[in-house]
Amino acid sequence: MNGRWLLKRIGMSLLVVWSTITLTFALIRLMPGSPISRMRAELYQQYGATMTQAEIDRQVRLYLNVQPDEPLWQQYITYLLDTFQGDLGHSYVQGIEVTVILADVLPWTVLLLSIAIMFQYTIGILLGASMAYAEGSRFDFLSTSVSTFLVSVPFYVFAFLLIFFFVFQWDLFPQGGKYSTGLEAGSLAFYRSVLYHATLPIVSLVITGFGGIALSMRANSIQTLGSDYIRGAQLRGLSNFRISYRYVARNAILPLYTGLLIQIGFLFGGAVILEQIFSYRGIGYVLLDATLYRDYPLMMGTFMVITIAVVVGVFVADLTYGKLDPRIQTGDSQ
Amino acid sequence: MSQQVVAQENILELRDVTVSFGMNRGVSKVLDDVSIDIHRGEILGVVGESGSGKSMLASALLDAVVDPGTVDGEVSYRTDSGETVDILDLEDEELRQLRWEEIAMVFQGAMSFFNPTMKIRGHFLETLKAHDQDVDEGMEHARELLTDLHLEPDRVFDTFPHELSGGMKQRALIALSLILEPNVLVMDEPTAALDLLMQRSILTLLDDLQEKYDLTIVFITHDLPLVKDLCDRIAVMYAFDVMEVFPAGDLSNSTHPYTRSLLNAVPNLTTSLDELRSIEGSAPDPVDIPSGCSYHPRCPLSTPECEQEDPPLEEIAPDQEVACWHHEKVDEELPLALETSDGGSAEVYEGNQSDEPVVVMDDIEVHFETDDGGLLSLFDDPEIVRAVDGVDLEIYENDVVAIVGESGCGKTTFGKTAVGLQEPTGGSVRYRGQDIWETKRGEGTGDRSYDEIRRALQIIHQDPGSSLNPNRKVSSILQVPMKSWQSDLDVEDRKARLLAMLEAAGMSPPEDYADRYPHQLSGGEKQRVALIRALLMNPDLILADEAVSALDVSMRVDMMDLMLTLQDLFDTSYLFISHNLTNARYLAGRAGGRIAVMYLGEIIEIGPAEEIVQNPQHPYTQALHWSTTDLDSNSEGEADESPIRAIDVPDPIDPPSGCRFHPRCPEAREVCATEKPSLDSGTDHCTACFREYSEDHPYWDSEPLGEETIGAHVGGESS
Ligand code: SF4
Ligand code: SF4
Repeated sequence: MNGRWLLKRIGMSLLVVWSTITLTFALIRLMPGSPISRMRAELYQQYGATMTQAEIDRQVRLYLNVQPDEPLWQQYITYLLDTFQGDLGHSYVQGIEVTVILADVLPWTVLLLSIAIMFQYTIGILLGASMAYAEGSRFDFLSTSVSTFLVSVPFYVFAFLLIFFFVFQWDLFPQGGKYSTGLEAGSLAFYRSVLYHATLPIVSLVITGFGGIALSMRANSIQTLGSDYIRGAQLRGLSNFRISYRYVARNAILPLYTGLLIQIGFLFGGAVILEQIFSYRGIGYVLLDATLYRDYPLMMGTFMVITIAVVVGVFVADLTYGKLDPRIQTGDSQ
Repeated sequence: MSQQVVAQENILELRDVTVSFGMNRGVSKVLDDVSIDIHRGEILGVVGESGSGKSMLASALLDAVVDPGTVDGEVSYRTDSGETVDILDLEDEELRQLRWEEIAMVFQGAMSFFNPTMKIRGHFLETLKAHDQDVDEGMEHARELLTDLHLEPDRVFDTFPHELSGGMKQRALIALSLILEPNVLVMDEPTAALDLLMQRSILTLLDDLQEKYDLTIVFITHDLPLVKDLCDRIAVMYAFDVMEVFPAGDLSNSTHPYTRSLLNAVPNLTTSLDELRSIEGSAPDPVDIPSGCSYHPRCPLSTPECEQEDPPLEEIAPDQEVACWHHEKVDEELPLALETSDGGSAEVYEGNQSDEPVVVMDDIEVHFETDDGGLLSLFDDPEIVRAVDGVDLEIYENDVVAIVGESGCGKTTFGKTAVGLQEPTGGSVRYRGQDIWETKRGEGTGDRSYDEIRRALQIIHQDPGSSLNPNRKVSSILQVPMKSWQSDLDVEDRKARLLAMLEAAGMSPPEDYADRYPHQLSGGEKQRVALIRALLMNPDLILADEAVSALDVSMRVDMMDLMLTLQDLFDTSYLFISHNLTNARYLAGRAGGRIAVMYLGEIIEIGPAEEIVQNPQHPYTQALHWSTTDLDSNSEGEADESPIRAIDVPDPIDPPSGCRFHPRCPEAREVCATEKPSLDSGTDHCTACFREYSEDHPYWDSEPLGEETIGAHVGGESS
């Protein structure tokens, strides 16, 4: 891994973040019926008699990070600088800083998604590998059918089913929330309660997610098993253990990594619906709320954080992928 | 070459070895009752076309036939201590030890033999450990082997497989196969994917290794001329059985009709061009092998007896066995073309090219940035690959120009530039006086549109399969060009026209072929369809990029003949790209065309085809010539010394100073490292080398280059 390559990746990530900020700015400022005009109209309606124009503008600036009477480029620069300093404005509805709200909910979403991804991949890889080894058997056939079926079921359909049975019919799990009230934060009971509440959302993601991974793992392994270097390794008398772990597993798992990148983005998008279904107040929940209440600062802050999370995820995965797979080590276009 | 083997003791004996696969269509015998002895210390060449069962023979030697194939018969191996073991009877663990320790194998697809995610060192280490060898000692041996193969051990150990060039990978693999000091090395088409020059260099090295480590080598290949000098004996396979075995020294020893026909079908540098004949018919299907002699449907000497009874392999002279009822008649009926030809003064067709150039290329440069570009190359300091560096060429009407060079010399990029598929970064490409790229940008002055120019310049690829739409029948593939360029033809006319074309291309009955999908065609047939499609656009120039390289030897001549016949019919020119001087000579020679030799982005010699072949001037062209074995050189043994000093091509990112060939040139002197020779013009035959300059050129007073000046530039891959 060389420095130039690293610089390039960092540059690429910054570029994406910058485009998001610019896009958000353009949305606020240029859209007809934009948040700015809307907010001014509202303020005017409410306080028109008591507030001066300058005061209204000050309010708008406070909430949206925009100074409506400045020239456009100056507004853009200010907005850009504010955002890069971590000032995302104030929530229009709750009146608190957007950053504070986000810091409160983001970890919960990350918790859900990372556990779900971990399970998806562990189950998917193990199942896929066993399917490949037993290629053509009844087990292979059954698992392939089940996986294919599960992949085609949207997770929210599954989520509704889970809620219907486990919550309403059998009353095994809570219907919503992140933890039971009245527990001391940090205590063992608290963590148990957190996991208990997270179970259903995670299960709905895992059940509908591992199938795709298992299927690609199966295909990769079969392809690897049939490759010349496996035959070469057998002729050279290497042990089966070494062949399966150093040759088959490694070469079959690596391509899945790219799938992981897409998965991260996909799951953040899915979080909006998932958290709504389970009344789980994570970042997706907040985003939908903000949209419903037209809480523009919050909405845009959330949008930006999700983008950054995806960018960082991709960046990290990219970085480690280079370490794992020598073929793309320097990012050369070979 | 060890003809002086103490006792002609056999190290391996095969008796009635059969490999069969059960298939729905019946049992498929891909090796049919083969019996052959392999002498200790010899190099045995096993020659056959694809689908002759030669790869199965290799696998059977190690009992390594892939499932669900089964091997029957006896493969006896005699160890150093004189014991005999039957390889097919061994327990798993015994077999595991025998492989690589006694018999090692380099099989086809060697390019992907290495684990892509493990460094080369790891492959050596794990092999040593798996066989409980002393690792330090073993690695020392590995270093020696790598050095023997002209590789730098430390550098190679620390690379991943994809970082090595094809030739380096192949040599690293040979070292890996010898790491446990086996007695026998089985090699299945080990060099097929490499350039000829690299193939020959590797064979020379193999010859040395064989002597140094006292190896027995079984070398399996489709290319008889290539291995002729390397081998002691040659076994020819056809239809899953051995047809004959003969001493390799003299090809006229061969007495089987198939071998004769095979030899007469191989284009080479000495046989008169008119005597090349391709073999009629095709090799049999493993499920349905003809009764009697399996070659009788194609054999010109076949008699009723041949159809009834299968001739056994019988000894007719020491070291020589043949399976043919009429082998005595072979010399009379099927003489070797190279013996009857009058010393290679081939008749040169007067080319009917006009003086009017179709495409003129002036000082073409194509420089690539290794970076994939985009906004973020801001952060990079891109490396520049000089794929083509200042080349001039004029192509006339009805012309044939063959570009020859090793892979990575820029010949494909140059070809694409000629037909307007690649924009040059410097210089100009003009079609009938009109600059192609200016026209594309709408700045040109000519009256032709860009589309018209694109139509006039066509291309056929090396792999025809990828350029034909797999979901369309041949007839609809061929109608596309006619619909767009000859819209005045109605359906019936188009149909009639394409049937006539298929017929002319030897694909009859044409109605049958028109109805097929690409996957129902053989490689050669696909290539013909691609050629017809290109011709139906009525082009002035066709770029044929390695268009025959992927075909079996006997089909190459066919394809090139077709190209020439159709050239007459359609009035087109060819720009033929090949790494093989023989193919270039065949095509360009027959049309009275030219051969241009490229090296690291420059043309270093150009002239009339026969001139270049018979009288090469540039040391590099001479090396290419050396790599193309002459069939008639009866020199036994010693694959003669390689005429180049370094095997690998230097990195095109940082080409050598002065004459770009100087790190490998056997004639290089000090001047060559600093000054650059230019292509002397004025005559038909131009050469970019100081040796072609007058006597008072400083070259002649300059000191020969020492070894130490060379090392600096050698090393093929970018680091
Ligand atoms: S046995 Fe007959 S058919 Fe077979 S190769 Fe000899 S002459 Fe030809
Ligand atoms: S110029 Fe010198 S180095 Fe180049 S080919 Fe001629 S002799 Fe060899």
